[in-house]
This record gives sequence, C-alpha cells and structure tokens, in this order.
Amino acid sequence: MTSPTSEASASNRRRARRKGSVALIRTGLEEMFGRRRLTRFLVGADIKRTHADTLFGQLWWIIDPLLQMAVYIILVTIIFAKTTPDYPLFLFAAILPWKWFSTSLGDATLSVTGRQQLIRQIQFPKIVLPTASVIAGTLSFTFGLVALGIVYLFYLDRLTIWVLLLPFIAAVQFLFTLALGILLSALNPFFRDIQNVLRHFLRLWFYLSPGLYSLSAIAHSNKIVYDILSLNPFAVLFDAYRSVIWGSDIPVVGGKTVYLPPGPPNWTGLLIVTGVSGVLLLWGILVFKRAEPAFARIL
Amino acid sequence: MRDDDSAEIPVEPYGSAIKAPAIDIVDLGIRYDLRLTKRTTLKGSIADMFRRTNGAENHFWALRHVNLSLAQGESLAVVGPNGAGKSTLLLALAGILQPTEGDIQTHGKVSTLLTLGAGFEVDLTGRDNIDLAGAFLGIPQREMDELTPAIIEFADIGPFIDAAVRTYSSGMKARLGFSIATAITPDILLLDEVLGTGDQTFRSRSQVRIRELAGKARAIVLVTHDLANVSDFCNRAILVEKGRIIAEDDPKTIIALYRDRIAHQKLLAEEDAQRFATVPTASSHH
Repeated sequence: MTSPTSEASASNRRRARRKGSVALIRTGLEEMFGRRRLTRFLVGADIKRTHADTLFGQLWWIIDPLLQMAVYIILVTIIFAKTTPDYPLFLFAAILPWKWFSTSLGDATLSVTGRQQLIRQIQFPKIVLPTASVIAGTLSFTFGLVALGIVYLFYLDRLTIWVLLLPFIAAVQFLFTLALGILLSALNPFFRDIQNVLRHFLRLWFYLSPGLYSLSAIAHSNKIVYDILSLNPFAVLFDAYRSVIWGSDIPVVGGKTVYLPPGPPNWTGLLIVTGVSGVLLLWGILVFKRAEPAFARIL
Repeated sequence: MRDDDSAEIPVEPYGSAIKAPAIDIVDLGIRYDLRLTKRTTLKGSIADMFRRTNGAENHFWALRHVNLSLAQGESLAVVGPNGAGKSTLLLALAGILQPTEGDIQTHGKVSTLLTLGAGFEVDLTGRDNIDLAGAFLGIPQREMDELTPAIIEFADIGPFIDAAVRTYSSGMKARLGFSIATAITPDILLLDEVLGTGDQTFRSRSQVRIRELAGKARAIVLVTHDLANVSDFCNRAILVEKGRIIAEDDPKTIIALYRDRIAHQKLLAEEDAQRFATVPTASSHH
C-alpha cells in the first residue's frame, strides 16, 4: 500500500514561496499517514533502544510503575495519613497513563534534535519523527498494562466490564500527546531550553493533576481552585481512567465520602478534551511544517 | 590517486539530442539566519528581541542569484574555496535545504552520497538498518528486498550483518553506509567528496562503484577539492565564490582559473604577511 507521498517523487520543483496554512496541514497529515513503513521501522527501533542496555529490558515498563506506586503509597498513607479504599488501584489508574504521557512527550521533544545528522543528509518528512516517538510510547504503555493486571489480582472485586472502555480513554490521551509532541519537537531545535524545563514542568503538572488525590475531594471546600484545576485535560483523563478502573468518590455533607464502584467516565469532559486535542494537533502540524525547512539550517 | 595528466575518460554527452534539462535553477538564494544558527536559548532570543538589531547582520547568504541549467548527459564539477557555498548548492539540489529565493527544478531521481552511515540505529542489526534506510529514502520495500543481497555482498561485513550496528567498527559502518547509498541508481547523482572511504581495498572498489553510477546517471554534480577528479568525471565546471557562480566553462579552463585565483590570493596574503611582519618567521614557506 503506497500513497503518493510514500516515495521520493521523480520530478521535483521547489520554490521560495510560502504555502498556505491549509495546504501545509494537509501535507503534514499526508506525510504522517503516507510514510507508514518509515514510521513502523522507527517505532521498532525506538522500542529496541529503550532499555536495550538494562538487565530487565522491557520488563521495566512493568516494574517501574509498581515501584512508583510503592513510593506514593508510602508518601500518602504514612506521611500524609490519608486513607482511601484500595488506594494502590486508585493510584495505578493515574501512574500508568502519566508514565506513558511523560515518556512519549519527552522522547518526541528530542526526536528532531536527536536526528540532526540525518536531517542534514537525507530529505524526508520530519513529522514522522515525533509521531513515531508517541506511537512507540503507546506500545510500551500497552505492555505496561500487565502491571495493572498484577495489581488487579489483589482487588478482583473492582474488576468490571467498564474496564473495556480503557482503549477509548487512551485514544483521547493519544491524540492529546501526539499534538503536544509534534508541537514541542518543532520548537525544541529553536529553544533548547524546552528539553531542560520539560522534566520539571511535567512533575509540576502531575502534582496539579488529580493523580494522587481526587479532585472531587476539594469540590466543596475550594470552588475556585477546583474550577481552575478542572481545566487541565489530565483532570478529565485521570478521572475517566479512575472511573472505569477504580470507581469514584463523592463527598457528601458532613465531611464524609461516598464511594461508588467502577462506572462510566465523564463523557462530556472526554469529548471536550478530544475537541481541544484535535485543534491542538492541527495547530501543532502547522507549526511543525512552518518550522521544518529551518531544521536543516540550524541543526 | 590519479594525477592531472593521466588519460581522461571523457563522459560523453548524449550527442546533440538535448532533452529536457535535468536540473534547472533560477535565481536561487539560500539564506542562513545566524541568530538561529548559534544554538539559541530562550534567554538569547529574548535578549535579541530587545536588542533591535537591523536585519542585515543576522543573515548570511550562502548562495545568491545562482542560475544554472544542466542538460541530461552533462556532468558538472563545482569548485571553489571553503565556505563558497558548494555544499549548500548540493544540499539544495538534494531537497534538504529549501530555497529562500528563486526556484529549483530537478527531473529524475536524485541521489546524494552524503548519506554515508548517517542515521544508523545502533541497536538494530545491519539488515534492519538497510530496511530503515530504504524507508527514509522512500524506496518501496519490494525494491529494497531485491537490492538487499547486493548491498550485503558489497558491504562485505560477513556475519556482522545480523549483529547490532553498535558492535561494528567504524570501517564496517562506513562500508555498509556506502553500500546502501550507492545501491540505487539515480538519474541525478550528487557527489560531495566521498571518493575516499574505508581501507585501501575498499577505496578502490568504491571508486569503481562510483564510476559505474556516474556512467549510468543522466546527470552528475560533483563538489570537490581534488582537481584531478574534475577532468576525469566532468564535462562542465563552475567556479563558486562567496555564494555566487563567478565562472562557467569546460573543466580545464575552470581549473586553470581556480588555480590562478588561489595563487593570486596566496601571493596577496604573502605580501600582506611580509608587509606586516616585523620579524621574519619560519612559517611562510613557498
């Protein structure tokens, strides 16, 4: 299966003319879907590269979230003395997607700058680089779901049919991650600070997202903070993951909380995040395509 | 190494049957933005915003007002001093650099031997890297499958082809890279001084390979300092200086002109050195 863009064209005309935004976005989308073979090879290389040099290799995608969970459990239950039923599962609904997001975004950000030699030597659509990074992260995340399975073994009563909605929620997150990944990979060659700041920014983002805690807990106590934090796409995503994996908690009058078993996610919220991600993706592609001609000049 | 006076193997132009040009360049300009070139950080570019410099000093035209047309069957040598814009011209022809001004048209498959060993994924095997290179170059998988045995044979790295590239010596990497880069027969061949790769035996084999490719290609552009190659490979030449084509003629004339200019500049430099030298130094030998 080859599309028109899947091969180097035989005849070629290049002019110093600024293309329109719509044409650029269309070209970017064609390149993303047209060069599937290249994307596939890059994803394969990415997966072989990560953890290729460690003893446990790919198993780290399972071990790492479990260790992280242990750290947070110690922190939250012992230091902050908070009690939430089946807290490990509660945490896991956030840790795993976040690891996927932060790894993919970090890899995508470096995807263009990391291939500077190649970009100076071969003409190819650079947009496949961040795309492949995000897809590789997604495959690793899928592998990491084994860890979720392990945690579920201890909380089998929480395992319901709703867990089958995971792929849908993950699809929304994929769209959001791809959009940001393409955007940051295009900007990083110009502002290398991004790769340095990103790690710290991501950590802050995680703590501001309801991963270790539930946002509904502060819905009554602090309405303004609640409203602001709700604008965060990961407030919606974490809440959705938690709804289908763990359940939900609803604070009632008198400082008590009612716990509900797993159920449907917040569809409206997911729809909004999907829409925002879609627009962000188109914008990211546009920024990328505008920046692309400069990559070979500055790298 | 060949010397200048050895018998030339003229590259025959295809008689009078001049078809559509293989390369057509009209008023090409390529500009580098120096602010971006010097690895900016956010702080630097914010500072630049406030500095209010006038645009001119931040730009550098690597090429400007370049007009060039290459017919099928022609092979062009690009000579000139370092930093004249020769490599930029090649990158532009390969489609890697986009024109800031003007228009470039190429007819036919363009291949550049710039690709030697760049972009190897060290965790993949040599074989996987062949496929990856094919995907980068946009060569269909079916064609790659046909080419692969010949690539492996020419690279001559034995069982290492199924080992991760991280285990390769630099010579093996160079051989595999060369073998991949020269596997496809392009219509337009772009060469940038890759004529010496690897050890002695491989070098002579690669010379033969390049000559084969040059024989099959419909047009060749060769950038080189090795003036011996020029009259061997090419039937036309241009002299590039400071981003402009300053002369265009047959290779012998251009080489003579280039040598004259080098000699002239050397003379000027020496005169300067003598004028300003207070103490005679041992460094100026002739």
